[in-house]
Amino acid sequence: MAKQLGFYVNLADCTGCKACEIACKDRKDLPTGVRWRRVYDYGGGEWIKDGDQFVPSGVFNYFVSTACMHCEKPICMEVCPASAISKRDDGIVVINPEQCIGCRYCSWACPYGAPQFNEVAQVMTKCDFCVELQTVGQNPACVDACPYRALEYGDIEELKAKHGTLSDVAPMPDPALTVPSIVYGPHKNTRTSKSGGGRVLNID
Amino acid sequence: MDIREWALLVFTILGQISTGSLFVLLVVRTYAVRKAGVDQANRLTDVPLLFVVPIMLLALMASLLHLGSPLNIVRAVPNLGSSWLSREIILAVVYVILAGAYTLMQWRKISTESIRTALGWAAALVGLFQTYAMALVYMIRTQPAWNTMATPITFMTTSLLLGSMLIGVVLVTLSSGKDEEQVRLLSASLRGIAVAAFVMVGVQFVTLPLYAMYLSTQGEAALRSLSMMSGPLSGILLLRLVFVFLGAGVLAVYMYQTTSTAGKEKVLVSVVYSAFILALAGEVLGRYIFYVSQVRIGL
Repeated sequence: MAKQLGFYVNLADCTGCKACEIACKDRKDLPTGVRWRRVYDYGGGEWIKDGDQFVPSGVFNYFVSTACMHCEKPICMEVCPASAISKRDDGIVVINPEQCIGCRYCSWACPYGAPQFNEVAQVMTKCDFCVELQTVGQNPACVDACPYRALEYGDIEELKAKHGTLSDVAPMPDPALTVPSIVYGPHKNTRTSKSGGGRVLNID
Repeated sequence: MDIREWALLVFTILGQISTGSLFVLLVVRTYAVRKAGVDQANRLTDVPLLFVVPIMLLALMASLLHLGSPLNIVRAVPNLGSSWLSREIILAVVYVILAGAYTLMQWRKISTESIRTALGWAAALVGLFQTYAMALVYMIRTQPAWNTMATPITFMTTSLLLGSMLIGVVLVTLSSGKDEEQVRLLSASLRGIAVAAFVMVGVQFVTLPLYAMYLSTQGEAALRSLSMMSGPLSGILLLRLVFVFLGAGVLAVYMYQTTSTAGKEKVLVSVVYSAFILALAGEVLGRYIFYVSQVRIGL
């Protein structure tokens, strides 16, 4: 089987500090509004009145750091009319800016919000797994920036062997849609895409 | 909804009017040939035919506004293997070429009647398939509000409803001073158009509740689309239904009756015009709801 690079995100260790997002933004010099990596604050539950005080009822939250999932079935690539999106031998999904026509059809399709329009360049852009760093033997910027060592990357089969196969985590969509190359380390509150019950608290 | 989506709204509505009107025109023409012969049929349908291709060209011009740079359209076709967007564009171009050739040959009476008619039907079928391809562009598995049979059904009914009504408008405009045979063909065509419009509205009114029921079973994103339609968009939805019901329902019945009554030509003209304008307004509102109510699965 061909190699497929993927990410491992340990939800138990992530504190939502967003160092990964800022490292990505800095490394790739992304303009305002373009966020290849985002950290979703997912939570739910409520406070109910009990006599004179309010007590928490099922209150929970956890953070999910997300970039392009370099899916096994990349829906962006399927729908792109210009054939501007391709999957490399190492499984990384890349957009060719020379071919992209900026129609944004991929952003209608991708359930992870990965392809984002760059107003300056007038093309779609997304996480390229820091290919240029990987070719010189370095780690992607987000991975190196995480102060909790909550982010790892590597061959997805190796990551699964090491960390298990959890890939269905709210608020992410059902992994069956695009088969994302992702493994999560569970948080004690982890919900699945179907069980849900919470909402994203920090990003519209 | 921003300017880019308005461009898509104009593109889909105009494109569907073009393909629907060519199909309806060929049906009308086939009827006229059988009833009164080729010459009478030509007199009836040659002028309305001139509207078909320019409307699709207008639609394509609107679609260019969606591409950043208009020249990008040539770069939007390489992925015919998996992208319905590429296929939609190619089909639109093939449709323009076939329908354009048909219009030219019909207008100049180039080649034989049977070859022209065959070309016309080929163009019309490519056109209907183009409208179907337009629907498939939106049927992506991460967009539950679009990924249903309701999308092609709605696009096809819009196409045939507005296409037939446009042909009605053109026919009735050209009707003054025509001889008895032409008036007879015209009245029969308008009655057919009224029936077609009535049936299309019926299909839409059956589709809508089924669509709502389907959405209610398709998970969170679909439920959010549904709650937009029953909440903030409900006023527009109601207005759409009223417009279409009045235009293609009530006025279609009136149109049918009026064509059978002598001496009501002036009334007929205003009835056909009002019906078209109401139906068009209703369909534009419907398409607006289509774009605004989409909620993608996921983040």
